Amino acid sequence: MSSVLRRILWLFSRRRRQQELDEEIRFHLETERDEREQAGEPAAEARRQARIDFGNVALVREDTRAAWGWTAIEQLYQDLRYAARMMRRSPAFTALAVLSLALGIGVNTALFSFADVMLLRGLPVHDPRTLVRMTWRTPQNEMHGMSRHATSYRDPEVGFTGGVFSYAGYREFQTHSDLFSSVFAYQGTGPLTLNVHGQAEPGAGEYVSGDYFRGLGIVPAAGRAIDESDDRIGAPAVAILSFAFARDHFASVADAIGGTVNINTTPFTIVGIAPQQFFGTDPGKVIDLYLPLHANVRLESSAGAAAARYTEASIWWLEVMARRQPGVSLERAQMELAPPFQHASDDLKVNSRRWTQAPSLALKAGDNGIDSLRRAYGRPLVMLIGLAALILTLSCANIANLLLARAAARTREMAVRLSVGAGRARVARQLVTESLALSCTGGALGVGVAILAQRWMTALVTNGLPPFAVHAGLNGQVLGLALGLSVVTGLLFGLTPALQATSRTTISALKETRAQTAYGWRAAGTRRVLLIVQVAIALVMLMAAGLFLRTLVAYQSIERGYSTDHLLTFALRTRQAGLTARDAIPLFRTLRERIAALPGVRSAGLSDGVLIGDGGSFTSVEPAGREVKESSVVLNVDGGLLSTMQLRLVKGRGIEERDELPGAPPVAVVDETYVRKFFSGVEPIGQYVRMPSEPVANLRFQVVGVVANARVARLTGDREPTVYFPFTAGVFGEVGEMVFVIRTAGDPLSLSSAIRTLVHEADPKVPIARLVTQDSLIEGMFNREILLARLCTAFACLALAIAVVGLYGTVLQDVSRRRSEIGIRIALGAQRGQIVVIVLRELLVVVAIGLLVGVPAALTATRIAEALLFGVTRSDPITLALSIGVIVSTAMVAGFVPARAASQLNPTVALRVE
Amino acid sequence: MARPRSRVDLLQGTLDVLILRTLSAGPTHGHDIAKSIRRRSEDVLNVEAGSLYPALHRLEARGWVEASWALSDKGKRARYYRLTPAGRRHLAGEESKWETFSRAMRLVLNAAAQEGE
Repeated sequence: MSSVLRRILWLFSRRRRQQELDEEIRFHLETERDEREQAGEPAAEARRQARIDFGNVALVREDTRAAWGWTAIEQLYQDLRYAARMMRRSPAFTALAVLSLALGIGVNTALFSFADVMLLRGLPVHDPRTLVRMTWRTPQNEMHGMSRHATSYRDPEVGFTGGVFSYAGYREFQTHSDLFSSVFAYQGTGPLTLNVHGQAEPGAGEYVSGDYFRGLGIVPAAGRAIDESDDRIGAPAVAILSFAFARDHFASVADAIGGTVNINTTPFTIVGIAPQQFFGTDPGKVIDLYLPLHANVRLESSAGAAAARYTEASIWWLEVMARRQPGVSLERAQMELAPPFQHASDDLKVNSRRWTQAPSLALKAGDNGIDSLRRAYGRPLVMLIGLAALILTLSCANIANLLLARAAARTREMAVRLSVGAGRARVARQLVTESLALSCTGGALGVGVAILAQRWMTALVTNGLPPFAVHAGLNGQVLGLALGLSVVTGLLFGLTPALQATSRTTISALKETRAQTAYGWRAAGTRRVLLIVQVAIALVMLMAAGLFLRTLVAYQSIERGYSTDHLLTFALRTRQAGLTARDAIPLFRTLRERIAALPGVRSAGLSDGVLIGDGGSFTSVEPAGREVKESSVVLNVDGGLLSTMQLRLVKGRGIEERDELPGAPPVAVVDETYVRKFFSGVEPIGQYVRMPSEPVANLRFQVVGVVANARVARLTGDREPTVYFPFTAGVFGEVGEMVFVIRTAGDPLSLSSAIRTLVHEADPKVPIARLVTQDSLIEGMFNREILLARLCTAFACLALAIAVVGLYGTVLQDVSRRRSEIGIRIALGAQRGQIVVIVLRELLVVVAIGLLVGVPAALTATRIAEALLFGVTRSDPITLALSIGVIVSTAMVAGFVPARAASQLNPTVALRVE
Repeated sequence: MARPRSRVDLLQGTLDVLILRTLSAGPTHGHDIAKSIRRRSEDVLNVEAGSLYPALHRLEARGWVEASWALSDKGKRARYYRLTPAGRRHLAGEESKWETFSRAMRLVLNAAAQEGE
């Protein structure tokens, strides 16, 4: 048995060993006494001599225990017990320190693991580093019809970036087998109606090409994957379910294989289940099932249009990824693919009106999947992590400050310890142990904070969707990070006070009077600097919070032209449920009347899309006889919508119920922007408009009314002309789905169950999709801004609280240090007010220097946030002034309380204490 | 609190050998060890309890001696120390070192004494 092992084993029988040692010593003493008695010494003398001979029993005991080799562990235990006692003795300090650390560590941990999930972690697929994602770029700024793809976006630096290709383009990539071992394509299905056991529900899927699963290296959890043989017109209808969908709808995942899922009334055979951790290629998207690419011909409302996707080179709709052959670099693939792509796209530009600048190919590393989340949250997250780090710094500065104050108060204790022979290192170690105990307690609580914060942020980012792909939670990494931060912060704020406390000369510290020792001069300097840093950081935080709050308010107060509160909306997709327009229109009208008759409902209307929050239809609507390039927002509505929106009627009449009737003359209602753009100087009522697209290209709609401008489809950007048609006119083809818009008297969601019952009674085959309030849809558009505003506000409050506590503590210390001075001043006739001013003066100097540092810091730091602001500039003077005002006023309050107490000192009491 | 260790350090090697040598005669308890060292050295070496017990426990931790409780000849429970095989090996090595050392000392001292005459 090695001696180390033996010592460790002894540690477990610690108590018994100590008893044995006591007994051993007792035996020694008794034996010595007995022998002396036998030699003839008197009993009392024998006992005394035995003791003298033995020496200091306590010392022998301690030295022997030291031989057990546990000294280090025992001292740690002592230190910890002492630390716990110190923590209990000043509960306010402990609570404050632990709380601010818990928040600091928790928020940092949460943000970091969140960033890890969203920004850093690769796709859960085989060897993600060899994946390539195809994109293209064009200096063009606007691409009609493209912006609704998650992969296509306007990029301020290069113009427009797109991630979709034509079928022919995707096939072209496949011919380069020298570069790629696999090229696969996919695209979202859009909303589907899924029906498993006769229970219809809304869902979403992904069309995937035959090589998708093989290319990604995904092995199904059960059954088989989709392969090339499934992906052709006429192949049997098959589907792969996501693991979560299969688990929720079947007794076991394996049970689902061979089962049937009805998608928009078309039965698909379930042949496989995707693995649990697989979420497709976009972590921000929830996918219920995977279908072969060519299944779109079965599902899209127009089979002809669906088939055209495979023949028309101008229809760009497929996202494409590829896996590089071994030894082929991204750069080489880019170099070889770019010329043929350029060639094809030049041809395209000539043949298409859409392109004014031919796109060029840009290959991207595919290991992170689609970067829509990263694009939206990358910069904010980096910024938030920066702010959270500042908060943690602030917490550390604050605790260091409080510890310095406490160390100053404990100077005598330290001096006594050092003078009775305690090693300097030993005392310093004890102080560091105290701060580590503090920081680790904070860290433990911080883990709890991190879990809550993660849950909250995930819910906000995923827009209330089940957090499936972006699933953050408690894991080893989170715990490790919290532990690491605890130790680092503990050392950070513990070392300086420890070194300072032990570096003072013993004798001089003992000789100093109480008043002097209460406030060491060097410590005072360090504390001033820390306070200045705190004030500066608090200002940066307040500024950030103010800017994001103003951004959020600016978004929310965009003039909409109608009231969006107390509006409930939901969609009914009748075509997906197998209903023709002939059956659907009466169903919509009946339901509208029944819903309008519900108690608590003011009015109800129908629109072919959600008013705001889901994009909209943009197409050109021309005044009859003219050709216009600019597109208008088109809304197909019923007779109840305009009055439910409470949109102001400017002229004529709105769309009414009589326009819904079969055989009614074709009419339209336009908004003021439309009139300004196309009917300036003309009486709009009685004019005709037409849509040059099928199926109503030959129809002329008479304008019967003009309504006020309203924000529909988009909330920001230029106002587009808007045209309202009766939904029964079918300007986009037969009625296939409608959105109900319901104005309620009270809480809109309280009507949900009544509405569900009504719809189920009317037709159980048609599921309700997205039953939500209009306001929550609008809020969903500002998730990022809400996240930023709330987190920054929380940070700012925290920073302010920490700074206030620091300032308050300093003034309090100051006052107690200068008690006798203040007593003398009062005794000599100083006014109360003068005392307050004297005490506050020093505080104000600190705050002023803090602001001098903080203002330029804030103005520089907000540069990071500039791109995220809306309706406010980063150097907004009002926000800056308010932030400064908040700091100065809270600092004054923090300082005034102890200052007032000082001014009410009884001079005789104050002077007698010395 | 840390105590000056110089005294223990100074005696450590010596004391360990004395204890191990005493125990090589048979197991016994701490008081007896101290007594027998004193007696054998003709009262020159007085082993203090403050050095003896730390040394005994250190030797135990190193595995050179073993301890167990047994009744003493006076009928009291005492902690008896026994030499382990490892301790015996260690003692042999230390003894030969001491022999060499003390002979060398004697040679030097004798030589010095002769020169002085």
